[in-house]
Amino acid sequence: MKATIYTYTVIRSSTIDFKDKTPYVAGIVESEEGKVAALIEGYQEGMPISIGQTVVFSHLDAKGNKVFRFE
Amino acid sequence: MNYRSVSVIGIGETKMGRLPDRSLRDLIAEAGNAAIADAGIDKSLIQALYMGNFNAQYLAFQGHMGSLAAEVLGLRNIPTVRTEGACASGSLALRQAVIAVQSGLYDVVLVGGAEKMTHRDTETVTTGIASAGDFELEASVGVTFPSVFAMIANRYFYEYGNAREAMAAVAVQNHANGALNPDAQMQKEITLQKVYDGVKISDPLTVFDCSLVTDGSAFIVVAATEVAKKITKQKIIEIIGSGHAGDYITAAQKESLTTFAATINAAKEAYTMAKVTPQDIDLAEVHDCFTITQIINTEDLGFFPKGKGPEAVLTGKTARVGGVVAINPSGGLKAKGHPIGATGISQVFEVVKQLRGEAGPRQVPNAKIGLTHNIGGTAATCVVHIFREAK
Repeated sequence: MKATIYTYTVIRSSTIDFKDKTPYVAGIVESEEGKVAALIEGYQEGMPISIGQTVVFSHLDAKGNKVFRFE
Repeated sequence: MNYRSVSVIGIGETKMGRLPDRSLRDLIAEAGNAAIADAGIDKSLIQALYMGNFNAQYLAFQGHMGSLAAEVLGLRNIPTVRTEGACASGSLALRQAVIAVQSGLYDVVLVGGAEKMTHRDTETVTTGIASAGDFELEASVGVTFPSVFAMIANRYFYEYGNAREAMAAVAVQNHANGALNPDAQMQKEITLQKVYDGVKISDPLTVFDCSLVTDGSAFIVVAATEVAKKITKQKIIEIIGSGHAGDYITAAQKESLTTFAATINAAKEAYTMAKVTPQDIDLAEVHDCFTITQIINTEDLGFFPKGKGPEAVLTGKTARVGGVVAINPSGGLKAKGHPIGATGISQVFEVVKQLRGEAGPRQVPNAKIGLTHNIGGTAATCVVHIFREAK
């Protein structure tokens, strides 16, 4: 499944559970199923990201939330 | 609808900041007793207490904040309630007090807020604040509270053009105002470059785009205006407008991330009740949890057209002196501080100070009508009040 980035940010200061993952990208992604907040994996420092960019469904996390990745 | 007129007759607050040696009890005692003394009334006149608090249960292991505050302030067995609506917890307390006094149930009530935050580490505070959003759908996928507003900033840039410089200018302006406020946590002026060079929190936000982690408390005495005239010699500041609205808690469900529906609706209710327009407002304490938020708020409150908030800041229209409307003369959440549950009441403290003409070096010239705007979470709760000296 593909989705587009509605908005995003690179997170550098996180909650306790994500402390080891920074920096990482989270965003709101839009697909035919609507908009959802999600982690977008595969960020490398300095890579260009833009609203409207396509991302790909990667897997469900342990809590059943959709995780996406950059193409 | 013919409700009774309601006024603020006393105000008190602590200095905001990192106050490691002070307990919640201590902060409540100082601000609450100051407000009662400012009104010059006997404590026995206070019939109920409304207490705003967001997160003491998590950050300080303290619930039942209404009862705690009543005991600390020697109010015996009056009814109390704690209100919680994330960062709007304080103004929600005022909203409930206004309704109770308007209706005739009570004549005189005390309204307060308190929060103690700085004794916990950053990740713990970030985790606590994340509960202002949806913990399952947002925090558990890695979304922090600042990151939601970073996403809002990026979406705003996409829809209206890059506002990075204006965001930095908001921080500079609020710090300059805070430097004139003895109660402010930050009393140092900063530069645009300092904002850009700050520690990165969540792009494009640096630490200087974010409001502060603060310990503090603020209280006000609220009374029916007709009763106020008999019991206080203090200048009576009437609450001429009150509005409260909600919106979806998750950012993803909102119709727009760059216009906050809750602000639009709460403001509409308050302006209608007050019979004033945005152009009548001389000063406003708006909820600048992040610099982008202040820009969006000044648009949603009707001070500037949509997309023109950045230009308004850059051209001095939000300045304390010489602008169109003085925004956050106290320094705002950005420089005065953001003791979450106390913030909504601390905003009222500032507006009342200004309307009484008691704001000293930070006085807004010709301040006649003031507004407070307090949002909770991702603008999922909004409370707006409008004030003017009673006739």
